[in-house]
Amino acid sequence: MLFAIDFFVRRLAQGVIIVAGIALLIFTLLRVVPGDPVRLMLGPMVSQSVAEQTAKEFGLRDPIIVQFGRYMTQIVRGDFGRSFVRSAQGGSTGGSRGESTFDASNRAPVIDLIGATLPYSLLLAGLAFLISLSIAVPLGIWAGLNAGRAPDRFALYLSSVLVSLPNVWLGLVFIYLLSARTGWLPAIGYENWTYAILPALVLAVELIPIIVRSLSVSVSSNLLEPYVYVGQIRGLTRRRMISAHVLRNSGIPLLNVLGIQAVGLILGSLFVVEYLFNYPGIGLLMINAVFQRDFPIIQAIAIFACAGLVGVNILVDFASTTIDRRLQY
Amino acid sequence: MITRRDIMVGAGALGVAGVLGKLAVPANAQGKKSLVLASMGPVTGNWDPTSHTTLGQGNFEKFVFNALTRAPMRDGEADLLEPALAESWKLIDTNTFEFKLRDGVKFHDGKEFSAEDVKATLEYSCDPARPAASFCPGKVDVEIVDRLTVRLHTEKHGYPASAWWFISSVIPILSAKDVADPKILQKRPNGTNAFKYVETNGDKNILHAYDDFFGGRPKIDEVVYAYVPDANTRVLGLLNGQYHIAERLEPEQYASLAGNPKVTTRKGLTTENKYLHFRCNKAPFDDPRIRLAACHSIDRKQILELMGEAALESSCYVSPMKFGFTDIKGYPDYNPEEAQRLLAEAGFPNGAGLPQLEYITSIGFYPKTKEYGELIAAMLQEQGFNVQLTVLEPAAWEVAIYRRADGQGQGHMCDVGWMTPSPEPDLVLRPNWHSSAALISGINDPEIDAVLDKERNAPNPEQRLKILTEETFPTMAKKVPSFSLFSALTFHGAAKNLEGAVYLPYGPIDLSKADLV
Repeated sequence: MLFAIDFFVRRLAQGVIIVAGIALLIFTLLRVVPGDPVRLMLGPMVSQSVAEQTAKEFGLRDPIIVQFGRYMTQIVRGDFGRSFVRSAQGGSTGGSRGESTFDASNRAPVIDLIGATLPYSLLLAGLAFLISLSIAVPLGIWAGLNAGRAPDRFALYLSSVLVSLPNVWLGLVFIYLLSARTGWLPAIGYENWTYAILPALVLAVELIPIIVRSLSVSVSSNLLEPYVYVGQIRGLTRRRMISAHVLRNSGIPLLNVLGIQAVGLILGSLFVVEYLFNYPGIGLLMINAVFQRDFPIIQAIAIFACAGLVGVNILVDFASTTIDRRLQY
Repeated sequence: MITRRDIMVGAGALGVAGVLGKLAVPANAQGKKSLVLASMGPVTGNWDPTSHTTLGQGNFEKFVFNALTRAPMRDGEADLLEPALAESWKLIDTNTFEFKLRDGVKFHDGKEFSAEDVKATLEYSCDPARPAASFCPGKVDVEIVDRLTVRLHTEKHGYPASAWWFISSVIPILSAKDVADPKILQKRPNGTNAFKYVETNGDKNILHAYDDFFGGRPKIDEVVYAYVPDANTRVLGLLNGQYHIAERLEPEQYASLAGNPKVTTRKGLTTENKYLHFRCNKAPFDDPRIRLAACHSIDRKQILELMGEAALESSCYVSPMKFGFTDIKGYPDYNPEEAQRLLAEAGFPNGAGLPQLEYITSIGFYPKTKEYGELIAAMLQEQGFNVQLTVLEPAAWEVAIYRRADGQGQGHMCDVGWMTPSPEPDLVLRPNWHSSAALISGINDPEIDAVLDKERNAPNPEQRLKILTEETFPTMAKKVPSFSLFSALTFHGAAKNLEGAVYLPYGPIDLSKADLV
């Protein structure tokens, strides 16, 4: 218990520092790299003076450190700001300005936009994990139990093929073959849960090789550990050794892979896949925000993504130490 | 919104899919004719049309709002104006323009349209503090003669009333009641056109046919205006039947769809020209001889070959869809000898002594900009210009091309297109080459200003046309603040069963007479 409290306090404190550092980095980069949200909002015909006035009203001409201080003060209060370009109705919104039309209440709170899109992404990610685990876990175990033999080689070749398929290309091929040509599955946008199947398949294809390789290597190396022979000498059957001990110990690297690599991969690939499928999740929200330089949305998603990764990392480490006590020291 | 039930059901998706084998795309509810338009431009949720000058939003607004007149801009009839909210119009004198308004028109909220709405709209829209005021020739005073007659007075504001001739087709007419309360104006669009706004759902905006539309109720019951930024997604959505119209296809996609039995394709000339803008307020392009030398170094025929069907040869500062278009006599042609002569005359023989020049272009917005950018850079290099091509993603490019508050802009040359919603040439000419704006080029040339002011101040369209073709364009071709490379075409894909859609050359699609058969 004491270990758990100490572990979480220490790791959460580190996590807060990491997230704050990432927030500052993202915040600064957004304002340093080319791309002025005001020009994108107001369009090409607007006069320079009106554009400049609008930028001042948004606070975009204040020193970056002043803007960041203001932002962090907001966040501490639980306010992630309002989108520059999306209305409270949910659509993208162009710049509005002037005393009467620069109406912040008509712009969507970022937290609402994230809240509205996150469930779609969770459905997609969950489905992707489900598909990939249901294929990769049996395959990985089978390969691990038959190291150096045909099943292992099959898993290796399959993983090599899958890992080398670019997700953009794969997505286009899936949409073309499974939706446009055959009409088997819907593909673009979201009307019901079936719209998540194709993009989830694309994500699953990326996850399967990672899980397969991690699990097969882990199972095969555990089989060579002395405790397997000792257990069998003490009368446990090989089947019992594998199901009760080998698979359990092999689960630790898989947990790490799932917790860190897979979540990171999902976070990265979600953006691409959701954009490609026009799937209305947090990835599409982020990509469109980048195109439109909607700083508050980009900042908030980056902070949440970073916090999510840090959180998962902490939980995975804690779970690993729970499974294998030696990792506590 | 996804429910927990959805997630639970989704978890068994593959198993179910395996059993069902085929999961059809949802059909339209209750047999209503619903059309999904995959748009490339985001739509704003601020429904005040004066709050922006973005193309995507303008395209959407055309479904909802009407202007006083309509400019169909058909090939060969660029200067044609048709009645819309105004039934007739005439110039009373140099500074007075009269519009007789259509009777019996209602806004979507039920309010009757009348002269008070025109007065409120034009005086509000042309206030210089409004971002979209740049579409107006200047401030305007609107006199209500009677319920269905207005007169526009421009004398106090220093420009002739004829400047409103084409602009009358641009400014969306709003309800006076909405103008009086800008918060209402922002919250929902309320116009008089064929479709009325219903709701926004994420990146989709839903429109329904307006029963009381003065042109007759549209046959299509519902338009779903979906923002789909990726061109591949738009095409695939068209192929799998989810979209009925896919906007702005790439030339290659247009070519590959041409033989597809499921879709029809369409290409059309736009109001857009593509320009190579010089930074005229920065050396070396502050010297017109250097600009002219650069123009003579560029073989536009090679660019046209590269562009294929996406470009049309034209030698003018405006598109053939614009009033006043003409192939300018003396427009700079490819002439390396002349380029060398000009460079030598300016003190840079064979380009020796010229600084390194940055040429800014974009990728992912216009077709083949990187490719023809490389071609232009190579042609300029050949004549001794030391050119470095900078390729930027659209958002970064959009910022890089405009001059900053200090008047300077990044680099020395920029690739820019300019599409405007009217035959009015001044929407291109003044923002780009009059010293009061010169948003990109920074040109400040009294002679160019004089010929631009002269054509704008002409008392009627006939005289204006004469000045444009005989003075304005030739002067600009001599001074080349920018080099117009070609006129742009645009490509659309549509479902085979869509009939009667009218594609306007500046982006909007008129579906008031369209049908899904």
